[in-house]
Amino acid sequence: MSNFRRSQNQSNPNKLNAILSTLIFILILNVTIQIWLLYAALNNALENHKEILIPAFIASLVLFLIGASLLYYMPIGNNNSRK
Amino acid sequence: MSKEDNLNKNWKKDFPIEKQQATNVSRRDFAKFLTLVSGGLMVGSGLVAAKAYMYPKEEVEGEHFVCNKEEVPLGGTRAFVIEGSTIPYILIHLETGEFKAYEQKCTHLSCSVFYKPGTGIIHCPCHEGSFDAKTGKVLAGPPPRALPKLDVFFKDNAVYVKASIEEEIG
Repeated sequence: MSNFRRSQNQSNPNKLNAILSTLIFILILNVTIQIWLLYAALNNALENHKEILIPAFIASLVLFLIGASLLYYMPIGNNNSRK
Repeated sequence: MSKEDNLNKNWKKDFPIEKQQATNVSRRDFAKFLTLVSGGLMVGSGLVAAKAYMYPKEEVEGEHFVCNKEEVPLGGTRAFVIEGSTIPYILIHLETGEFKAYEQKCTHLSCSVFYKPGTGIIHCPCHEGSFDAKTGKVLAGPPPRALPKLDVFFKDNAVYVKASIEEEIG
């Protein structure tokens, strides 16, 4: 029976390449936003403005979950069935 | 055996990894690593929030005697610490006659700040940071926040400080 994983691995290397590049691009974007969130949270914590801390943490958590769930779509690579 | 044959057979036998496979592996690891970094930043954010809520910064409690008015000349300063705390403060007698008290640690990297007599500027020599002596706000340089301040009040001739009442912003 064919499933998502198998059909994805059988697709054209160009397609896998595009998927992986997009994935890395999105992950870098997420990490950048998270760095900004952490920076803002830290500065506000030192300034005793606590109201921003929980939303910043939740946003960071959401971005992490997005990144982690995107890993499902990461191509496994050619497992060289030709060998 | 010709060079061509060698390239085509033995070389591949010795290194049985195709170029494409090799690059795929490293990019996949990179993506995983990015996710790890993302998780680390998320944990960091959580720690900042937890620290702020569970171990809040100690507030100065009560009123504390610093010195008598005549001990600090116009434009002069006096360093002091509050009992039971190690945070250094400075009391400044501004040229306008006002008394102001600030934490002596620069908000950039905690260097000692000092008052420049006659200018109304508190200066940090480490990275050329400047604060307004009247409000504690940043005028120039790298400090990201205003200097924390204490409220100064008088009992006859004695100068006292107490925790500053936070102004509501916006």
